[in-house]
Amino acid sequence: MKVKESEYLKIKKPILKKLLEKLLAKYEYASILANDSKSVNYRVNKSGTNISEDSTLSERGFVVKIYDNGKAAEYSFSAIEDDTVDAVYFEIVKSVENLGNTLPDGTDAYKYTAIDEEELYINESTEYASDPEEKGDNNIIDLLTRISEKGRAYDKRIIDCSVAFNYQKYSKMFLSKKKDLTQNVMWSCGYIVTMAKEGEEIQNGYKPVSMLGGIEVLDTLEEKLEDACNTALDLLKAAPITPGEYDCICEPDVTGMIVHEAFGHGVEMDMFVKDRAQAKEFIGKQVASELITMHDGASTIPQVATFFFDDEGVPAHDTIIIDKGILKTGICDDQSAKHLGVKPTGNGRRQDMTRKAYTRMTNTIFEAGTSKVEDMIASIKDGFLLCQASSGMEDPKNWGIQLMVDIAREIKDGKLTGKIYSPIVMTGYVPDLLKSISMISDSIEAGGTGYCGKGYKEWVKVSDGGPYIKARIRLG
Amino acid sequence: MKLNKMKGNNMKDKILASLKRLNIEEYIINITKYQSAQMFFIKKSLDTKRAENTVSYNVNVYRKFEKNGKEMKGNSSVHIYIGMNDNEIDEALKRAYLAASFVCNPAYDLMECKKNDFITIESDLMNYSLEDCCEKASAALFSEDNRNDVFINSAEIFAYETKEEIITSTGIDSGYTKRYISGEFVAQCKAPQDVETYKDFRYNTLDTDALKDKVKKTLEYTLDRAMAKEAPKAGKYRVIISDSYVSNIFDYYTSRAGVGYIYAKYSDYEIGQNIQALDDEGETAEIKGDKISLKLVPTEPISGEGVWQNTLDFMDEGVLKTYHGGVRFSRYLGVEPTGFLNKVEVAAGSMSVEDMKKKPYLWVVNFSDFQMDDFTGHFGGEIRLAFLYDGEKVTPVTGGSINGSILDCQTNMYFSKEMQREANFEGPYAMCFEDVTVAGV
Repeated sequence: MKVKESEYLKIKKPILKKLLEKLLAKYEYASILANDSKSVNYRVNKSGTNISEDSTLSERGFVVKIYDNGKAAEYSFSAIEDDTVDAVYFEIVKSVENLGNTLPDGTDAYKYTAIDEEELYINESTEYASDPEEKGDNNIIDLLTRISEKGRAYDKRIIDCSVAFNYQKYSKMFLSKKKDLTQNVMWSCGYIVTMAKEGEEIQNGYKPVSMLGGIEVLDTLEEKLEDACNTALDLLKAAPITPGEYDCICEPDVTGMIVHEAFGHGVEMDMFVKDRAQAKEFIGKQVASELITMHDGASTIPQVATFFFDDEGVPAHDTIIIDKGILKTGICDDQSAKHLGVKPTGNGRRQDMTRKAYTRMTNTIFEAGTSKVEDMIASIKDGFLLCQASSGMEDPKNWGIQLMVDIAREIKDGKLTGKIYSPIVMTGYVPDLLKSISMISDSIEAGGTGYCGKGYKEWVKVSDGGPYIKARIRLG
Repeated sequence: MKLNKMKGNNMKDKILASLKRLNIEEYIINITKYQSAQMFFIKKSLDTKRAENTVSYNVNVYRKFEKNGKEMKGNSSVHIYIGMNDNEIDEALKRAYLAASFVCNPAYDLMECKKNDFITIESDLMNYSLEDCCEKASAALFSEDNRNDVFINSAEIFAYETKEEIITSTGIDSGYTKRYISGEFVAQCKAPQDVETYKDFRYNTLDTDALKDKVKKTLEYTLDRAMAKEAPKAGKYRVIISDSYVSNIFDYYTSRAGVGYIYAKYSDYEIGQNIQALDDEGETAEIKGDKISLKLVPTEPISGEGVWQNTLDFMDEGVLKTYHGGVRFSRYLGVEPTGFLNKVEVAAGSMSVEDMKKKPYLWVVNFSDFQMDDFTGHFGGEIRLAFLYDGEKVTPVTGGSINGSILDCQTNMYFSKEMQREANFEGPYAMCFEDVTVAGV
């Protein structure tokens, strides 16, 4: 079934068109992005049950963007009615006029040129099998409660088992002089977090599921429970690793974190505008093993960051960033593309209607290779299988790696020994790691239960993943 | 603080009327109005300016019921939007009220009404328009950007005003208005190698001197980082951290003494226990270094649940004095709800920064990201810039990472006499740990 168009936005469309007309009479460019979004979080753990609308992802709001004599400005607001179009218009004009009149010494205002666009009409919806709203809150909570209780009974050292589901269903409308775009999208996620305790130490096991779609995402969650429990219990026995450089196999979620954090942020082209990304100097050069082909795009795979147009009205792309080890291009939002004189790639995204659009990743993956996972493990004499990616931080300027994974499983003479080490910090220089990739498994897995920040803010939904990879990595 | 009654509004009345129509007896309504002025600079140019004028209405409905002979209270929250008619509001609240009946939490009382006030948090930011605040902060930030060898690559500056109103079924109708400036900037140095440093800031006053000082120090560190070529050798080091990373360390204690952690038994902390002296087996060890004395301070007068918030003595010389947190878990534990106290104040330590630097050290002034794990006690991050003193000379180094455990370090760590002041932290400028593992070359 297809996600339905928002009735609210249908009602607002003629009113927004009136506002747009007035703005276009005053400014050389104006656009309006409108969002009607609902997101609900469900969670069950030992402390209780929670059902709440997500305060960041649930909104009805609008953002106007204008270019005033080449200068970019935006105004975010919550409501508009037929009889308040003039009032909203005057607020926008006032805000544009009042801010930025006194600039710091030595600075000026940037003037954009070539502010043009092509005619475009989109009205598309993603598909789902089962709508969470129709499934009913009671049925969702019953399922989560059953899994949570089973997890808590698994072992006396398991002190909690948190099981959660959340979804976002949104309709976005983008209107400008030449564009009339509507999209209706739903994604869903679920996860199990088990917590095991011994003495003062607490460790966790984390198993996520995510998809473009509805409540059907939970069909496979319960089968991951045992693995989540065992991971947390295993981590209680983990020892600190001896720092050094090792041959490693990365599970797909760790591959995904490398794709996203270590390399993906470095090809966000708003960083090219600021001269903050080393990748700018490497276009056309080898940055990875020739086994590596990397994609990003809202149309790359059907996942949580799939959409039909971005928050600047640019259609979704599937961008090949690295082709057989050669860096081909970055990804770009519309305003940065104007700066750089290139075409935007559909990567202009906002956290919500109160935030600016930046170049942001969507669904980011490495393509599959030809190796079997068992052959990859068998090829390692002394190394580790890296599992359960926990967090990472980008460094586009210096391509420094800082990635945290929870588990390193020891491999000796081609076999897993059962010994595990934790916590693990992966460090090093990104191209060194990517060039060291020597084997890639023959299928990919991707997921997106988390959010991506730009630095420490601007959270947007993304997915990432890829195959198992074998690489030489510095661990600490 | 001074009184500033927030004007009533039509949507609030509509929501209250709907709750009455639906016989929903217990609820909390949170109304938040945001206004902001925002400036985004790339190099020496204003790239984009933004303004915001938005409002959000969040309604949490509560429902009493019995399950297996036990009294329960479920709740569920829903957003109400301007322009919704009475039928739409009724439908949204009805659905939330039905959802609350599936939330099987033991019953507890919502916060009772002790007083009602609307407060404007005093700040010199109130003396100017938001546009002026944003422009003045921008001017301060760029005033230090006057060198050729190191410069501000980009900056984002925000001036915010939020008006929060809390209305509850227990009679609370209170709120506050506050302003703050926040933002981030990136300093860049191109030679001898091209490097950058990211910093963010947040001030509740127009503290342009603090912002200028932060920019100046960041520019200097960035210049140092451009000189740093080598990563430190792998091994154990006497590590000094400073600036915002110091505040991250105390998150370990404040998180584990939250009522949510205590109720769930994620933490065994007991009031009166010397939590700084606990080892990884839960036994008590001798504290050889500085003892932690810490206060939790509110940055807003009232929480979203209607708790009037006051400064708490949280730790005294390592001993836990109180739990802290919201209403539900506090009620379950039988302690007074404290609300959510966002600011940490820590007493100064016994050593000056110069004393800390008398013996060999690795002073990390910039991490790519510093993390403190509340559950395991592990802390660490990748080193962007550190100064390595081997007993003879100081060398700037970059790369590698530190990986420590607060459980191993807490009885032998020292805080500086020098202090730092930010919107959410006042405490020692630096702290020093013995024998921390460094993954280097």
